[in-house]
Amino acid sequence: MKKWVILFLISAPTIAFSQVVMVRDTMQSIGQTDSVFVTANRSARKLSNVTVPFNIISAKQIQQAGSLRLTDVLKEQPGITMTSGFGAGIQLQGLNPDYTIILINGEPLVGRTAGVLDLNRIALGNVKKIEIVKGPSSSLYGSEAMAGVINIITESTTNIPLQASLRYGTYETMDASINNTIATKSVFYQGFYNYYSTNGYSIRPNSNSRVTTPIGRYTINQQLKYNITDNTNIAIGLRLTDEKITNDISVSNGGATINSTGKEHNQDQNISFTLNHKFSNKIKTSFKNYFTDYNAKQDLVTITGAPYYDLLNHQFQRIENQTDWNINKNINVIFGLGAVWEGVKSTRYDSEKLRKNNTIQYGFTQFEWNPTQKLILIGGVRFDKNETFASAFSPKFSGLYKISPKHKLRFSIGQGFKAPDFRQLYLDFTNAAAGGYSVFGTAQAQQVIGQLSALGQIGTLYDSYYQLKTLKPEFSTGMHLSWDYDPNLNTNISVQLFRNDISNLIQVQQVGAYITGAQIFSYLNVGRAFTQGVEVEVKRKINNHFTLNAAYQFLATGDKDQIAQIKAGKVYTRDANGYSKLLTLNDYVGLPNNSTHKAQLKLNYNASNGLFANFRMLYRSEWAVNNTNGNEVFDKGDEFAHGYISIHTSIGKEYKNGFTWQLGCDNISNYVDPSNLPNLPGRTFFGSIKYQINHK
Amino acid sequence: MKKTIQSIVTLVIISTSIVACTKSDSTTVMPVTAVTVKDLPADTVVGLSAQGIPITNGKYTFYSLEKNAIVPNSDSATTKWDVAFMATRIITNGGTSGTGLGGAFVYTGLFDALTTIPTDSTFKTDNAPTSYAITTGSGKGWYNYDGVTNLITPLAGRVLVIRTASGKYAKMEIASYYKGGVTLPATATDADKLNKQRYYTFRFAYQPNGTKTF
Repeated sequence: MKKWVILFLISAPTIAFSQVVMVRDTMQSIGQTDSVFVTANRSARKLSNVTVPFNIISAKQIQQAGSLRLTDVLKEQPGITMTSGFGAGIQLQGLNPDYTIILINGEPLVGRTAGVLDLNRIALGNVKKIEIVKGPSSSLYGSEAMAGVINIITESTTNIPLQASLRYGTYETMDASINNTIATKSVFYQGFYNYYSTNGYSIRPNSNSRVTTPIGRYTINQQLKYNITDNTNIAIGLRLTDEKITNDISVSNGGATINSTGKEHNQDQNISFTLNHKFSNKIKTSFKNYFTDYNAKQDLVTITGAPYYDLLNHQFQRIENQTDWNINKNINVIFGLGAVWEGVKSTRYDSEKLRKNNTIQYGFTQFEWNPTQKLILIGGVRFDKNETFASAFSPKFSGLYKISPKHKLRFSIGQGFKAPDFRQLYLDFTNAAAGGYSVFGTAQAQQVIGQLSALGQIGTLYDSYYQLKTLKPEFSTGMHLSWDYDPNLNTNISVQLFRNDISNLIQVQQVGAYITGAQIFSYLNVGRAFTQGVEVEVKRKINNHFTLNAAYQFLATGDKDQIAQIKAGKVYTRDANGYSKLLTLNDYVGLPNNSTHKAQLKLNYNASNGLFANFRMLYRSEWAVNNTNGNEVFDKGDEFAHGYISIHTSIGKEYKNGFTWQLGCDNISNYVDPSNLPNLPGRTFFGSIKYQINHK
Repeated sequence: MKKTIQSIVTLVIISTSIVACTKSDSTTVMPVTAVTVKDLPADTVVGLSAQGIPITNGKYTFYSLEKNAIVPNSDSATTKWDVAFMATRIITNGGTSGTGLGGAFVYTGLFDALTTIPTDSTFKTDNAPTSYAITTGSGKGWYNYDGVTNLITPLAGRVLVIRTASGKYAKMEIASYYKGGVTLPATATDADKLNKQRYYTFRFAYQPNGTKTF
């Protein structure tokens, strides 16, 4: 009731977005507003010629759903699941957040906490589209592109002199954006300014710590492109995100509650410089220089205890050249060379003053061949030579066969890798608050533990301690087979089978214990796992006003070593009385945090007078969260989070004079699960207005 | 949590017929019956210090497997007890812990399937404070500790094979470390995790005829 009052009070100032309603072709009306795809080939290709599984999220979809941050829009995509803990990350086809590379205009974002990049950092106000490639793509993008690639594209040549929007909603969530562009024959400029703030929320009753903490965050984005000649241009991009978070935490220490006030300040800055030159219609090249700096600082002042201070600074610089050569109308070749320098310093390493460095040199090439009108074959390979860990070789092969105008088959097989991150190499962390356990990165674990041992502090060392050695990258081999069927101009059905095999998984293992019994951990390449499943998506334009999108994903995962142990009869579980029994494969559930079934249904309405509305329903089946029955594997006797449905809706209208209003309600059924879904607030409302001066 | 929490003070002891069974027929080996002990307190938390540190009495709970009963602390220097519990540590009446013939080892397998103690098994004795017959520490003896949820979970498929103070044999399986006989869910309150811990629910089978067969 109260929320409704708030909604009406705030419905005057509001949001959103607008573009003149245009007549679109079939593909576009089913949700594809742009007919070009860049990420799959590192070069623009027609959608109908993309050989790998992909998804596109258009600006229209983002805006009509009322999405503000990257998390809002990704969680509504087939095959993607949100994770919580260390910020909001995403799981792609059952693989953890560390395994998906996030790019903005093709350049990687850095600054992960425990492998998770907080996607709330990314504002969507100036996004033109988001491209998603599923399956290993290290042959083009190197490390982290193991599960796939998410590329956020803000570059646009649309001339919108001014666009301003304001949105307000539950929990005092406010978002204001200004976007302006200047486009002449030789200059293109875009400036984007965004401020987002929320008072946060607490979905745990009687708790003063908020799941989402009060945040103030601004984003500035500047892009300038200058055409020196018809064949040469330069582009400069600048992006800055600055966020301040206030975090009131209650820590329970042995039964006593300690209240503390935390201040968090995160800054993400990047700058890119690009020179593009077209030698002829057949050959073009681009030089890119990209630098990014992520700085995260936390200050925690407890009422009773000592102050706590945490710093992470991650810098990344890359120089790259890519040349595209169109040998003839059937053959395209691209090749590239690059070098990366990367450095991290953190209070969680041995000294926050010493920066840990890594350099990478790499080269890649891709060969694209259209032997007939109906067939496209692409082969590519990349080699990454790393300074601080083993090198990686990443091949990929993919193909598209257009059986008939109505049927298409896609096939891809490729290898992906993820380099050991700085945390796994250099972490030097002892948690004094929680029993005094320590985690040491592999690069210095043996040295540090050796010193502790000389001081007589080490109680026991496990076999795993003696197995510690230089970490290897984690590898995945991914296979995808998909079938696209267009029974008529208004319907598209796609069915995709996928399988990813992962080896050399880097896992935290206990390597010993202090005399006090406190555990000592480090990282080892130990695991082998798989994820596999089916994705089905149906897009249908019902009539001139309604479009429907339905998707379903079935996912099965497993740890191969655990399965071998279960088959050997070496894994036990507990019966209803708490006593042991042998675990069978039937009761094994695979990797935690993975739901077997996911489904979504989206209905969109667009009237010719600019009125739009949508209804989105998302379902996720139960998933294992905690190992509670005394074995190291996840089985049916463990603790699960309940499956749930969330429903979202919004309505708005775009006027020809450039105004748009929008009202929305997220999580209508008010589903909450504080322990397992801290990122899902209860029912929230928003209202927004937007004004745009359209180019004549 | 899900089950009704039983009375704290008294132990629920399921009646057995071990004595009758073995006395009535001493020539054939009769299978021994398993006995369940519920919510045996093992140095439970009695309060909090001014600094918020939990306070306990720091005393073992001594237990006789032969009599299936708690042995008073005043008898700790005798051979009246076979095993004793304090928090996650379990000691046997032998070595540095007692004057009896006690010892133990942790067997990996199922309680029911362990019908004969393997001939090649070695009983260890306590050598406090460096080692115990029933190894202490997470993942090494009978339990696992999860630093995130702060819960102690008995490892599945572990049987504690015990040599009693008088040199007889018994097998034991621990089902829970929390009052009520079921490990608390991860979402339990901190107060419950603190106050309901250190209550053992276990089953054991005691072979009074001195053989290693159950």
